[in-house]
Amino acid sequence: MASAPRFQFVAGSSEHSTYRLIGWVSLVVLLVIVAFAYNDTASLTILDNEYSLGLTRITKAIAFILALLGLQVVAGFTGQLSLGQGFFFGTGAYITAYLVQDKPLFGWNYFTSLIVVVPVCFLLGMLFGIPALRIKGLYLALVTLGLAAVFPALVQLQQLQEYTNGAGGKLIDADIVAPSWLPLDGIAGAFQSIPLIGQYFGDGDLSSREEDRIWIFFLMTIVAVVCFKMVSNMIASRPGRAMRAIRDNETSAAVSGIDLSLYKTLSFGVASALGGVGGMVYVAELGIAAPLDFTQLLSILFIVGLIVGGAGTLSGAVVGGLVLAFVPEWASSTESLPGVPERWLQGPTGTLFLGLLLIVLMFVLPGGVIAGVRQLRARFVQIIPQAPGAAAAAVAVDDAASEEIAGDLDDEPSVDVAVDESDETTDTTKVGGEV
Amino acid sequence: MDLFLNRLFDALSNGATYALIALSLVMIFKATTLINFAQGEFAMFGAFIVLVLAVEQGLPMWIALLGSMGLSALFAAGFERSLIRPFDPTNHLPLVIITLGAFLAINSIAGIIWRFDPRAFPNLFGSGVAVEIGGATLRWYTVGVMATVAATAILLTLLLNRTKIGLAFRAVSSNLESSELVGVRVGPTLQFGWALAAAVGTLGASVFAADPFRQLEPTIMVRVLIFAVSAAALGGLDSIGGAIIGGILIGCVQSLLVPYTPIPNDLSLAAAVVVLMLVLLFKPSGLFGTPRVERV
Amino acid sequence: MSRVLDVSDLRGGYGPIQVLHGLDFHVDDGEVVVILGANGAGKTTTLRAVSGMIATTGKVELNGEDVSSTNTADIVRKGVAHVPQGRGTLPELSVEDNLRVGAYIRSDSEVDADIDRWYDVYPVLRERKNQRAGSLSGGEQQMLAVSRALMSRPTLLLLDEPSLGLAPLIVQDLFERFAEINKETGTTMLVVEQNAQLALGIADRGYVLESGAILTSGPADELINDDQIRKAYLGV
Repeated sequence: MASAPRFQFVAGSSEHSTYRLIGWVSLVVLLVIVAFAYNDTASLTILDNEYSLGLTRITKAIAFILALLGLQVVAGFTGQLSLGQGFFFGTGAYITAYLVQDKPLFGWNYFTSLIVVVPVCFLLGMLFGIPALRIKGLYLALVTLGLAAVFPALVQLQQLQEYTNGAGGKLIDADIVAPSWLPLDGIAGAFQSIPLIGQYFGDGDLSSREEDRIWIFFLMTIVAVVCFKMVSNMIASRPGRAMRAIRDNETSAAVSGIDLSLYKTLSFGVASALGGVGGMVYVAELGIAAPLDFTQLLSILFIVGLIVGGAGTLSGAVVGGLVLAFVPEWASSTESLPGVPERWLQGPTGTLFLGLLLIVLMFVLPGGVIAGVRQLRARFVQIIPQAPGAAAAAVAVDDAASEEIAGDLDDEPSVDVAVDESDETTDTTKVGGEV
Repeated sequence: MDLFLNRLFDALSNGATYALIALSLVMIFKATTLINFAQGEFAMFGAFIVLVLAVEQGLPMWIALLGSMGLSALFAAGFERSLIRPFDPTNHLPLVIITLGAFLAINSIAGIIWRFDPRAFPNLFGSGVAVEIGGATLRWYTVGVMATVAATAILLTLLLNRTKIGLAFRAVSSNLESSELVGVRVGPTLQFGWALAAAVGTLGASVFAADPFRQLEPTIMVRVLIFAVSAAALGGLDSIGGAIIGGILIGCVQSLLVPYTPIPNDLSLAAAVVVLMLVLLFKPSGLFGTPRVERV
Repeated sequence: MSRVLDVSDLRGGYGPIQVLHGLDFHVDDGEVVVILGANGAGKTTTLRAVSGMIATTGKVELNGEDVSSTNTADIVRKGVAHVPQGRGTLPELSVEDNLRVGAYIRSDSEVDADIDRWYDVYPVLRERKNQRAGSLSGGEQQMLAVSRALMSRPTLLLLDEPSLGLAPLIVQDLFERFAEINKETGTTMLVVEQNAQLALGIADRGYVLESGAILTSGPADELINDDQIRKAYLGV
């Protein structure tokens, strides 16, 4: 970089903690603002096209983000290129749909269904991870793509009809209803009364649909945050180091005593469980699990999400999920563009855009958006790692670990040695919003 | 017996298509040890071009087919030059990602241009029944597909074994550096492989769509690609003969094995995936492939 | 006597690692020149640099023409044949196809005659002409590799450690053949070797390479009697 960064922090110092705190607080504030500003069918009009910014999209993005978080574990951190994430996403969605719709007597709701979804997907993932012990790289991609391709036929089987409702898809009647004690109306009113920007928060009381939307959004955000925290802890600890070692060089990892079979199947298990949780969020938002939502196309789109955000970065999952949730929607909302015949704006323009984006990214930004953001941010903020002795005492475990990850994954090692999670997330949320 | 024969004929005609797509996968794999995930989409697009040339432009069917094969070859050559060659050939991940991107892009472009309504594909091999054996009918279509595969295999073998570019292609497949050291221009030679693969793929998708019982639509090759990948892996991924036999065997799994087992018909794709997995697990070099040595 | 190869201030390596630190050497028409050096001295890298297989700075002139930035395939067309270390035969191809691919840059009608000629020099290749090259023994593969290189009718033949991994008797025979080929066809040869005794035995001149730089050079018979070299490379 040409000039010295404007802000410099010593890792673990109180200024650094403040910096991190500011990052977290702005993230929470941003989430609240997003929830209240976009609960309505908010939209943006560019060149006569209306682009929806609705909160339902963001909740859908959370579903994708969770699946991508899983893909980050198995592909980004362990280096096992899996084109089968859609399979587990679908499995989670269908199990949830079945439990919530057909077994309400036992008190199943979306969240308790995770008790079944997580272990089932985890075990299924481990099972499918077993071939990965012998099948590598390209061949693994082939097998997992096959797996993803089989899913729609599987849930449409005659024998499973009574559980999955075949081609029509499994509808769920149950909704997640916002509890009455929540003063959502009051908060909305408070936002609306802010001068100048109040108009962006709609007007009047929230309808019950809007309240429910905000409620689902917050619940799912909590689910996502919990998953992120668990994954980032795992990545930072022994299993995570083993996985990265496997990614970087399988043979030397094995030679240094890493149990390949354990960690590979574990990474598949974790990835699949997260895929399943994503499926739960997806079906909770959509209210239906339909076979054609879970084709191999979805699995390939997840690869787009992985690469757009940046393979091997947890925050990349956020960017990827937002892109996957919004781009196809916005592309189909684009009904007129100057100089482009209308005919060309109808059909799967979103997938076209994502496919081209994938190719272009491999040329211009192979590390994904996160790598780009880090390069950009390195011009403004620099976090100086402490000397090992002092750092060990001062730096919290997860802090040090996330730095290690960031340093590990950065394309330009000199750019920023330390990237911590909190501001990473805020950055990417902003970037994601602009995409 | 009649049912068995009918199923066998189905197996042969399906298998022949898988063989053609498998052949195009093998052409690229042989040279680069890369699988082009967009191969099926290249082929689907080529088949649409055949449709456009034959139906909308009114060209004779065979001219339309050859013309589209030529266009596909040109397109693939350009694709190789602009999107594949800039990358390190030994690092597969970016290349796989590029072909996945191409998969999405080509599939969507076809959807945008031709929409997703199925269209009747012109008849390639004449209609009706060639031979009737008891109650079993061998259609002209099946005969035509089998003949096409045989002719393609013979032509490809001749091309690879009797021509200079074929020799160069085999040399590059065998040892890239040594080929360079005898003056082979590696880039254009690999490009030739991509072009050839695309032409064969277009032929494959066209004969697949030419079945009077089928119609052409943009997602037609998505499933076929999985069957073809299984076929290619079964045959050994780098063997031309292997691709053909693998294709026929996968056709047999789909149309002969599955109907005689409790496996539901809808899961024939799953059966192919299981075959793929078993081959890669227990005999990664397939039936006829060259054993691969992993370097550390 | 004209310069076939003239190299000056050659630097290069792999990525950030520089292996060659400014080499100057030359090979005249009809000569056999040997570059001696221990493992890691940069011998293979030198030949790869001449063939245009790695990025270099400095000057490589072939028959007076600057080829420093020419690609490998074109350098081959300018008359350089390179037998790489480990022989680099095409294992899946038949022996005959290996020879045929050696003549890839030629379009004359004498290819078949040349193949016959090398079959006469190495009759074992004729016996095995339809076998896969990968099934040959090490010595046979080296014969095939040399014949294949000569199929392009080169003006300069680069040999990268032809003795590597071969039994002493076979190596002896191989080097005698090199000398014969040099006399009969007038092919100029640049050989890199660790086996100094053998290589100097057929060479006109030699260079000693150490850590990517030329340590000393001179006529072969002088080098063979040089005490330092005798100690370092001849083991006496």
